[in-house]
Amino acid sequence: MARSVWPRGSPTPALILGLIITLAAVVAYSAYITRQISGLRELQNNLVARNRKDSLQLLRIQNDINQLGLAMRDMLANDEPYPLTAWSAQFQRIHADLTDALKQEQQVAVADRTPEQRQYLGNSLAQFWDAVDRTFALAGEGKQSEARTQIQISLQARQEALTTAVARLLVQNNEAEEQAAQRIAEIYDRVQRQVYVFLVATLIAILLTSLYLIRSNRQLFARLATLSEQRSELAQKLISTQESTLRHISRELHDEFGQILTAVGAMLSRAGNQAPEGSKLRAELREVCEIAQSTLEKVRSLSQALHPVMLDETGLETTLDWYLPVVERQAGIHICYEKSGTPFPVDGNAAIHLYRVVQEALNNVTRHSGAGKAWVRLKFLPKNLQLEVEDHGTGFVAQGTKQGIGLIAMRERAELLGGVLEFTQPAEGGTLVRLQVLREKLDSHAG
Amino acid sequence: MNRRSFLCGIAAAAAASQIDPENLLASPAPGFRLVDVTQQSGIQFHHNSGAYGGKLLPETLGSGCAFLDYDADGWQDILLINGMDWPGHKRERSTLKLYRNNRNGTFSDVTRSAGLDIEMYGMGVAIGDYNNDGYPDILITCVGQNRLFKNTRKGNFVDVTKSSGLGGRQAFSTSALWFDFDRDGLLDLFVCNYVKWSPEHDVFCSLDGKNKSYCTPEAYRGETCWLFHNRGDGTFEDVTAHSGIFDSSSKSLGVAMLDYDQDGWPDLLVANDTQPNKLYRNQRNGTYKDVAVEAGIAFSAEGKARAGMGVDVADFDNSGTPGVAITNFDNEMIGLYRASSGSFADVATQSGVGLASKNTLGFGCVFLDSDLDGALDLAVVNGHIDDTVRNVRGVGYAQPPQLFLNNGKGAFHDVAAEVGGGFRQPKVGRGLAFGDFDRDGDLDLLITTNHGAAYLYRNDQIAGNRSIRFRLVGTKSNRDAIGASLKIFDNGSIQSRLVKGGSSYLSQSELPVTFGVGKRDKIDRVVIQWPSGRTEEYKDIATGRAYECVEAKGITRLQGF
Repeated sequence: MARSVWPRGSPTPALILGLIITLAAVVAYSAYITRQISGLRELQNNLVARNRKDSLQLLRIQNDINQLGLAMRDMLANDEPYPLTAWSAQFQRIHADLTDALKQEQQVAVADRTPEQRQYLGNSLAQFWDAVDRTFALAGEGKQSEARTQIQISLQARQEALTTAVARLLVQNNEAEEQAAQRIAEIYDRVQRQVYVFLVATLIAILLTSLYLIRSNRQLFARLATLSEQRSELAQKLISTQESTLRHISRELHDEFGQILTAVGAMLSRAGNQAPEGSKLRAELREVCEIAQSTLEKVRSLSQALHPVMLDETGLETTLDWYLPVVERQAGIHICYEKSGTPFPVDGNAAIHLYRVVQEALNNVTRHSGAGKAWVRLKFLPKNLQLEVEDHGTGFVAQGTKQGIGLIAMRERAELLGGVLEFTQPAEGGTLVRLQVLREKLDSHAG
Repeated sequence: MNRRSFLCGIAAAAAASQIDPENLLASPAPGFRLVDVTQQSGIQFHHNSGAYGGKLLPETLGSGCAFLDYDADGWQDILLINGMDWPGHKRERSTLKLYRNNRNGTFSDVTRSAGLDIEMYGMGVAIGDYNNDGYPDILITCVGQNRLFKNTRKGNFVDVTKSSGLGGRQAFSTSALWFDFDRDGLLDLFVCNYVKWSPEHDVFCSLDGKNKSYCTPEAYRGETCWLFHNRGDGTFEDVTAHSGIFDSSSKSLGVAMLDYDQDGWPDLLVANDTQPNKLYRNQRNGTYKDVAVEAGIAFSAEGKARAGMGVDVADFDNSGTPGVAITNFDNEMIGLYRASSGSFADVATQSGVGLASKNTLGFGCVFLDSDLDGALDLAVVNGHIDDTVRNVRGVGYAQPPQLFLNNGKGAFHDVAAEVGGGFRQPKVGRGLAFGDFDRDGDLDLLITTNHGAAYLYRNDQIAGNRSIRFRLVGTKSNRDAIGASLKIFDNGSIQSRLVKGGSSYLSQSELPVTFGVGKRDKIDRVVIQWPSGRTEEYKDIATGRAYECVEAKGITRLQGF
């Protein structure tokens, strides 16, 4: 059977699925918005902007037609010292501008204008200019009065008709613009509604994902706690087994081998006394007896090292009084041992764990710190026991962060005691190992 | 060559080699300062608009000013146009003022002795030697009858309005200019008219809805400009209709001459208020055609007819083609047009002039090389038309003049606050003209204000830039050489100028032409194209002085400027 990529119960697949759904929703919504904006732009370009440009040109045309009206009014006012032909250039200028405006207007005229409407304005203007030409022809022939009559009966009426026609187109444009504005408003409303829907959907998705994450986290933490408990239990068992093994070996060495060696020594001593004084046999038996005595001492020393018997018999304080000078001798470092407070008995397993912590801490001092001096402080505080081992060597941090089995064992023992183990760096450098254990915890582990 | 001249030559060559034309045009500091010398020069003028509370339209639009050398002594004199009290509201006597240059930085009031001590509702002025006698004559545009004063050459003037054929015309005239439109060697006259207005038909307008304010021109019918042909016998013929200038819709305030199509025939640019500007192209047969729409200068970029006030034309980008500045109403920006292949493009925004003029209402405007760096700058005077505008639109009635320095690369920035002399003090500015009244080679500024004082600002160069000036005297061409074009060539760069009257608003600057040349001590050559068609060229000309060029007779170095 193939193994799954993710461990059983992992939230990752569900989260990836959620992410895919969210991204798909964003993409879908973006596509929707893009389509709406594109439609809006198309509407604005094709209708609104075009309509506005057209209206501008129509206004230009209307302005020109008004200019024609004003010019005709001035021609009829007859208060200039110039003949009517003087206005010819002015009319030509307006004619040129009107022609240009009409051409541009036809290019941007809204699509729904009928061909008749398109032709009407141009045809009307053409007829107007024909009438203008006839009027100026009359004026050029000196028929000022007839020309003025033409202006009154023909040109002014045509000019008014043109004004009306342009005004009608402007109104038409205005209506188209209003319709476009309404359609734009509808698009905006629709988009606004969709924005709200998307917002609500997004919020729900975020809410569901958050709830799922919370649930997954809880499960993970529960599993972690179980694993931690199992690991701690295992560690306790390992330590307990180690201690019982060491105690057993220590006792075996002390009790069995010690008795045997003591007996061997006594027997050799008796045998030597029975050998003739000054004989070679007597000398050799004494030598063997000395070897047996030396072996006995080494066996006892090893037994003490594995598990000091005095820990079981007299407790931690006395054991440390014995142990620290031994370390000084063996390791060649100077240890300042300070005791403070009112001593209280620390026995049993508690004494063993504390002793092992001191043993491991001093072991680290001698092996890693490079310091020639260490401080061991045993503080009997009213509510707890504080044990410190300090050196001013290279420091715990400088030695690397990788934890050896010794440090792990120290932490485990501290945890077994329900104490707090700290590794800090003193101001002078080096390492300060501090273990604090509540007195009540010590009492509970005393058995 | 002695040792000293040799060493001087080496030093000059070393200095010249360090001059880079780019750096010449890109000086960041103004390089000059303006000093208000109005009081110390003896100019004591107060414009009388005649305002008595009736808020009659002409009151807010005057008046103009001019630099002229009326006594032909080579020193620029000053003419300040004045209005007068309205009939029925007489309080004081007010006339225009003619100030003679005393050649020592002061002026004397010679109005009475010059025969100009005459009351009229004056608006603008055009100076030109229409009878080619070597002495400038004066046309005063008025509300009512314009007045033509002929220079007697004896220090005074005689009113020849009636005998010249200009009489019998009542109008609201504004700017005017003398030019030789048919190139017959005689100066013709172009007159702008604003609207059909009379005190009896003044319209009630209001900015705040309560108090009467001055109207904008929409309230009135337009009035055609006039073109008068100089017959050469002291009389003029009205060719307005025949020439195609006639347009009863025009509401003209400013006029400038230019050679738009570079054909040697003078064209005209007319700034209209709320009506399209007109660009009259000379068709070389005595007629004009308005090509403003095709040229892109009739309307703003948005297609709107702006409220054109003052106008000036000059080759401000040293491209050899004329650019245009037109001052407009507040919120309309100055129109700054660059010529490109037969049409104009408004570059006001890109150049920095647009935004700086968005909240100002401009009137007089002139292109001049105020710092003599070889790039024409733009001076503008501003001021609103009604003092109640402060309460309604939040823009000032009195507004600071502006002096846009050209960096030679298409960008302008206003240095009015940096040039000193109180130049930037807000004024209700109207007329603006330039001239070198102290003959130190740089261009001084003359400003008139509505119902206020006139100001004379002396230009003092501090960066050490030099100029070269030319006074042209026509022989076959008109005596003032109006319409002559000058080009100076130096080290690969070309500057061009046109001898012209008119421009600005109701005003006229001096006729001599000034080129700024930075620190160069000579130019390679100058080419003069006379209105008669004759071309003359002079080479290796020292700068730092003025020259008189007489058509077909050569060039004469003058003492100093």
